[in-house]
Amino acid sequence: MKKLMASALAAAMVVSLVGCGGNNTTSTSESGSAAATTESASATSVLNTDTSTLYINLASEPDRLDPHLNSTVDGAVLAVNSFVGLLTYDENGQLVPGVAESYDVSEDGMTYTFHLRQSKWSDGTDLTANDFVYSWNRAANPMTASDYSYLYDGLIAKNEVANEMVANPEYDAAAAEAAAAAGEEYTTPAEVYSDAALAAQEANEILVGVEATDDYTLTVTLVSPCPYFLSLCAFPTFYPVPQASVEAADPDGTNPGAWALEAGFVSNGPYTCTAWSHDESMTYTKNPNYYDADSVNIETLQFMLSADDTAIYNAYMAGNLDFIDTIPTEEVPNHIDVDPEFYVAANIGTYYVGFNVNSTLFEGKTPEQANAIREAITLLIDREYIVDTIGQTGQEVANTFVPAGMSDSNGGEFRQNTDSYTYPDEEAVGYFDPSYDAYEENLAKAIELLESAGYVFDDAGMLSAETPLSFAYLTNEGAGNEAIGAAIQQDMAAIGATVEIQTQTWNVFLNERKAGNYDVCRQGWLADFDDPINMLEMWTTDSGNNDAQFGRDPATGEAGTVPSYAPQNWSEYDELIAEIKAETDLTKRVALMHQAEDMLMETWAVVPLYYYNDPYMQKSNVEGVYTNAFGYKYFHHATKTAA
Amino acid sequence: MTRYVVKRVLLAIVTVLVISLITFFAMNAIPGGPFNKEKATSPQVQAVLEARYNLDKPVGEQYILYMNNILHGDWGVSLKTGRDIASTLTSRFAVSAQLGLKAAAVAIVCGLVLGSIAALNRNKLPDRLIIFFTTLFTGVPSFVLATLLLLVFCMKLNLFPVWSAENPNYVLPVVSLSLYPMAYITRLTKTSMLDALSQDYVRTARAKGVSQVKVIFKHALRNALIPVVTYVGPMVAYILTGSMVVESIFTIGGLGTQFVTSITNSDYPMIMATTLFLGTLMVTANLITDLVYKMIDPRIELE
Repeated sequence: MKKLMASALAAAMVVSLVGCGGNNTTSTSESGSAAATTESASATSVLNTDTSTLYINLASEPDRLDPHLNSTVDGAVLAVNSFVGLLTYDENGQLVPGVAESYDVSEDGMTYTFHLRQSKWSDGTDLTANDFVYSWNRAANPMTASDYSYLYDGLIAKNEVANEMVANPEYDAAAAEAAAAAGEEYTTPAEVYSDAALAAQEANEILVGVEATDDYTLTVTLVSPCPYFLSLCAFPTFYPVPQASVEAADPDGTNPGAWALEAGFVSNGPYTCTAWSHDESMTYTKNPNYYDADSVNIETLQFMLSADDTAIYNAYMAGNLDFIDTIPTEEVPNHIDVDPEFYVAANIGTYYVGFNVNSTLFEGKTPEQANAIREAITLLIDREYIVDTIGQTGQEVANTFVPAGMSDSNGGEFRQNTDSYTYPDEEAVGYFDPSYDAYEENLAKAIELLESAGYVFDDAGMLSAETPLSFAYLTNEGAGNEAIGAAIQQDMAAIGATVEIQTQTWNVFLNERKAGNYDVCRQGWLADFDDPINMLEMWTTDSGNNDAQFGRDPATGEAGTVPSYAPQNWSEYDELIAEIKAETDLTKRVALMHQAEDMLMETWAVVPLYYYNDPYMQKSNVEGVYTNAFGYKYFHHATKTAA
Repeated sequence: MTRYVVKRVLLAIVTVLVISLITFFAMNAIPGGPFNKEKATSPQVQAVLEARYNLDKPVGEQYILYMNNILHGDWGVSLKTGRDIASTLTSRFAVSAQLGLKAAAVAIVCGLVLGSIAALNRNKLPDRLIIFFTTLFTGVPSFVLATLLLLVFCMKLNLFPVWSAENPNYVLPVVSLSLYPMAYITRLTKTSMLDALSQDYVRTARAKGVSQVKVIFKHALRNALIPVVTYVGPMVAYILTGSMVVESIFTIGGLGTQFVTSITNSDYPMIMATTLFLGTLMVTANLITDLVYKMIDPRIELE
C-alpha cells in the first residue's frame, strides 16, 4: 500500500513539480508507424464517440485556477484553455496575436505598444487595456503572493515605494534573546514593508511602466530590452484577470485567489469552468463571449481529476477518456513505436544531478581537485541505460545544462557549435560524450581525474581501501527517481565507490536541498521561458535556486567566505549574469551566455543526465490538439469524429 | 449513567486537546513548510505569506492563535488552495460518509447474516464456503481488491465506467470498502454465535420448546452481538472517514484523499482540521460503543 501511494504521489509530483513557462519551438512527433502492427496495444483501446465532449486527464485536483497563482504545468494547461493573454501560441509553437491584435516596438526595444482587439469577458463586460494594467500590477504585487511575481522583477519599471522595506517594529529583541537562550527558534523577520509600501500595495500601484493610453492601447516600458518579453506575454502570470470579481471575492485582501476557488468564475478564453467536483471531475464549457468562439469546435471539456496512473490508464483504455497526459512507466513499452495513439512532445528542460559544492565530501581538496572528482562522477554515469530502461520515452541523453531545443533568443538554437563558439566536445556538441560508445574512454578519464584528486586505484581499476569514495544521493520519492539513484549507485560501484540512496518525501526533499543538507541530489528544471538566462540565473549566489550553494558560507547559508575546496570568486559569475541581463547586442549576449555555461560546467556541480520530453496519449478519432515545449496542451481547435 | 457520560465527554475533550497539541508540534517539526517550492519564490512573497498565516511567529504562539480561532469557529483557509476549511471538510465528509454508510450497512447486515448461517451450519458446506471467502477477504489488502474489481467489472465485463463525470457509480467503491469489515464481522458473529448457542440458557429455551427462530434471534444473536459491537463502533468511524486508496483508484473526492494530501503539502490548518475531526469522530464512536454495550447487556457496569 505504501508503494502504491508513493507512486501515486510521485505521479502527482512529477506533474506538479515541474514549473511552467512560455515560448516557441514545438515539435510534436508521432511515434507510431504503420509498419508496426504486431501486438499493438491500441487494439484493445475503446473509442469514445460523444463528439461534442472531450474527456481528458491532465493530473489530479489543481491547487489554483487563478492564472497568477498557478505554478504547475497542469494548472497552466487549464489557464491557456480558459484565458488568453496579449499573445498566444499557435499549432506551430509560434507566438500569434491574442487579445492584442498587433504591437509596435520602439527602436531602442524598450517600449511596446499593444493594440487590443475589442473583446469581452465571459460575463459579457468589455475587456480593455485597463484590465491589463490592473492584472499586471496585481501579479507583481507582493500582497498577491504570486509564485512567479519575480518575472516582473527587472523587466518593467517598478514603483520604488511599493518595495520599501524597514526594520520590523514588532521585532522583540528581548523575546528573541530569551528564545535563543532556551534553544528555541525566534522567527519574526527583521524587515517588513514600510507603511508607504503597504499603502502602494493596497492601492495596487506596483508597476510604473504599464499604461493604458486609451481603452484599447496598452503601452509597456521595459527597464532594458528583453529578448523574451513577448513570450512572457503568453505566460499565465501575464494574463488578464477580472478586477470586479477578484475584488468582490476578497474585500480585505487576505485571500487573493478567492474569486477562482469554485466553478463559475469569469475568464476570457475559449472555455469557462462551469462545474468542479473536487478530486473527481471538472467541466469546461465553450465560452460564447470568446473573441474567436467560431473556431472552437468541441462544446465541452470534461477533466478527470486523478493522479492514479492505473485508474487513468484504464479509463483511457476503456474509452472513458480521450486524452491522457501521464502513462504508467510499465505500459510505455506496449505503446511507444507501435501505437499511433502514443505521442511524445518535445520539452525544454534538463534532468540532472546536483552537487553541494560545500559538502564535506570535498574536504581537504583544492577547488580543482573537487572539480575533478565531480567531473569523474559525471563521466561514470551511463545515461543511455537510464534513458532506455528508466525514462523509456526516448529522451535525449544530456551533456549540457542548457537543454537541447532552447533558443538563443538570437534566431538560433543555443546548443550548437557556431563560428564564434565551439563546445569542448565538438562532435558530441557538449561538455563530454554521453554515449555508451564512449564509456571505456570516459572510465579511463574518470580514473585519471580521481588520481589527480589524490585517489589511489589498484590493478583491477578499483579504488584502494585507503582512499575510499562514498557519498549520499538525495532523491524524492518516485519509482523513476529512485531507479535513477540505483543506476548511479551501480555506475559508481564500477570503480568501487559507494553511494547511499536517501529517499525523502517531496516537501522534506525540497527543504534539505535548498538548505544545502546533502552531498549529491536529484535535480530537474523545466524552462519557464525560452531563453538560456532562465537556466543560468539560477546559480547566482543570492538566487533562491542556488541549491549547489555557490559563493555561500556553509555556516550562514548566505554570501560569504566559501570553504577552501569550493569554487572561489563566484561573484564573477554573479557579475557575468548581471552583464548578460544588461547586454543589448544579442550576438554578444549569446557569447556571454556560453561563457556563463562554461563557467558553471567547469565546476561540474551540475551533472546533466537527459533532456525532458513529454509523452501523452490521444485517441485516433481526436485531432487538432496541439502542444508546445512547455507542456501546454491547447484543446480549442480539437475535433472529434464518431469513429 | 449521566455522571458516566459527563465524565467520558470531559475525558474525550482532553483526548482531543492532547491530539491537537501533538499534531501541531509534530507537523511543525517536519522539515519544509507549506510554501516550499521547487522554483524559489521571491523572499518578499515568502515574507508576505508567512506573515499572513502567522508562520513568522514562534510555534507555541501559533498554537495558541490557532486554538483561539478554532474556539471562535474559525478553521481558517487551506494554505494550498485558499479554500475555506470548514466547508471543505463538510463537503468532503459528506462524500466519504455517504460511501462509508453504505459500505458499513452492507458489511454489518451481510456479516451478521453470513456469520449466523455459518454458525448454524457448522462444518457443513455453507460454513466452509463462507469461511473460505471471509479468510480470503481478510487477507487481501484493499488496494489489490479495488484494482481487481476495477479490472474485472470495468475492463473485462464493461459493467461500469472507470471514471465518469456525468454518472459516477458507487457500487465498486462500496464493495471494496465493505468486504474486509464484512468478512471480519462474519467471523466474529460465527464464533460468538457458536459460543452463545452452547450456553445453558439456550439449552433451557430449547428444552422449553421455544421455536428455533426465536432461540436464534431473541436469545443467541443478542448475546452474540457484544463482541461485534466492540468492533463495529470504531469500524464505522474509520470507514466513514474515507480511504485514500479506494478514493484514489475510483476517483472519489472524499476525506481520505484530503487527509493524505494535506500532509504531503504541509498544509498546516488542513492537517489540524482533518486530524481533529477524525479524532473527535473516533472518540465519539468509542463512547457510543460503550453505551450500546450497556443497552445490549444490562450486566455491564458503566463506571
